[in-house]
Amino acid sequence: MTTDTDIALRLRKALAEYLKRDVTTIKPGDVLRDDLGLDSLTTIELLYQIEEEFDVEIPDTDLPSLVTVADVTAYLQRRTTLTQHVPARPESPSDDVARSESGVKSFA
Amino acid sequence: MPGVERGNHERSPVTPRIVVTGLGVVSALGIGVKQFWEAALAGRSGVSKLGAFESMPMEAYRSQVAGQIHHFSVGRYIDGTLAERVDRFAQFAMVATKEAVADSGLQLDREDPHRIGIMVGAGMGGMVIAEQEYHRVYQTLRPGRVVPNFIPEVTLNSASGALAIMCGAKGPNLTISTACSSGAHAIGLAREAIRAGRADVVITAGADASVVPLTFAGFCSLRALSTSFNDSPERASRPFSRTRDGFVMGEGAGTLILESLDHARKRDAYIYAEVAGYAATSEAHHMVIPREDGLDIATTMSMALQNARVRPAQVDYINAHATSTPIGDVVEIKAIKHLFRRRANQVAINATKSLLGHTLGAAGALAGIVCALTVDAGLIHPTINYDDPDPDCALPGISRGAQERSVGVAFLNAFGFGSNNAAVIFKRALTEKGGQ
Repeated sequence: MTTDTDIALRLRKALAEYLKRDVTTIKPGDVLRDDLGLDSLTTIELLYQIEEEFDVEIPDTDLPSLVTVADVTAYLQRRTTLTQHVPARPESPSDDVARSESGVKSFA
Repeated sequence: MPGVERGNHERSPVTPRIVVTGLGVVSALGIGVKQFWEAALAGRSGVSKLGAFESMPMEAYRSQVAGQIHHFSVGRYIDGTLAERVDRFAQFAMVATKEAVADSGLQLDREDPHRIGIMVGAGMGGMVIAEQEYHRVYQTLRPGRVVPNFIPEVTLNSASGALAIMCGAKGPNLTISTACSSGAHAIGLAREAIRAGRADVVITAGADASVVPLTFAGFCSLRALSTSFNDSPERASRPFSRTRDGFVMGEGAGTLILESLDHARKRDAYIYAEVAGYAATSEAHHMVIPREDGLDIATTMSMALQNARVRPAQVDYINAHATSTPIGDVVEIKAIKHLFRRRANQVAINATKSLLGHTLGAAGALAGIVCALTVDAGLIHPTINYDDPDPDCALPGISRGAQERSVGVAFLNAFGFGSNNAAVIFKRALTEKGGQ
């Protein structure tokens, strides 16, 4: 069975590999955009790898809630314990706008 | 030797003014300028449910809407085998160009062929044949059975080649590929080619047709496309609206006949507008994301104004790039506010992509056609789905309805992946109908 710790570790390892950093330098409270230096495109690339790694599909509507490493860990924990085919919803839709800085679709 | 003098014309000591004398459209709103323009003014949407990709599981596509041209058959418009042996985007370009040449009244067989150029903007190229043959060769493992016409058809400049052959044009034959701004750069560079004395006429087109399984999936994976309106496709492309959530892929082509004012006058051509200015810049910032402060866009627009010797206060209308992405639309409006200041509240603005979706390499050409028609007719087509204005984008000149307004100066914005920006300025020609 997948545990919280498993997910957190796998995620941090995936992040470390993607960012070419030591896994110990990645903290749960790190903000993907500001602390890890991800922009909207690299966030999408990372989420793509996470989708592959954890066999989940992350709908666009869930992206605004994924701000920190801990957010992604908690999200994956929910998704992997729930029915995998039901898309998860953001915990609080009202948070979407306020937290949309890590969002995507900023394209030309 | 006969013929060596052809195209070797002496340059005029005066830099020529460049005018638009013919238009042609292939779009999801209709084939032909008249059909397109009437639908645009009526605010109709060309976006529909994404057509099935053979046996592909369509539910696996995050976005399921597109501005597709349904039931297109090139044989209805163009005779001969050439049109059947080029890819869909080049077929679109050929049909649009046939209309534009006829509209311009140019008698191509009476022109010096070396003084007629072709300039085509294309972002993707022959994606229909590309995907078909990639799929087939990996599936069958029979590289010896790749169709012989694969390379001539897939090549990005196949459209400009086909147009040159169709028109007998022997001047510069060039393809501009700057993703979503390709068509706009083609207009600007066509103008410069005539000003530099390399041609009297440049047939200028933009074309793309890449609503195909892999390319569409690629844009989905990039999370660039709208996903919230899969059940109401006509509402999905909604520039400047609070609920916009990405662009809608489209396809099509547009052609403008550009020529020197002298050349147009000599043959008593109808003049839609003058192409008065152009600027091209790079943000040197990011492959797909614009700078969020909009300053590079404002700089590009300012450079185009200087090139056209036009002040911001003279601009009446802006055809915005406005793809309906959350950040892209805001950045463009920031740039407009920065450059135009109080004038930003007076200028009319619309988004052609609200009607067609984003036709990629065709978008700049189609927007250029809209600018020419707007200057000519004094009518500004609606920005549809602007029913819930985003406060960060809202300006008084954006309207859900058609606007009637005399437009002396029109502005075309186009931005592309690869960190590049284009701006083109159209003016009402001083010598109007019949070269008076």
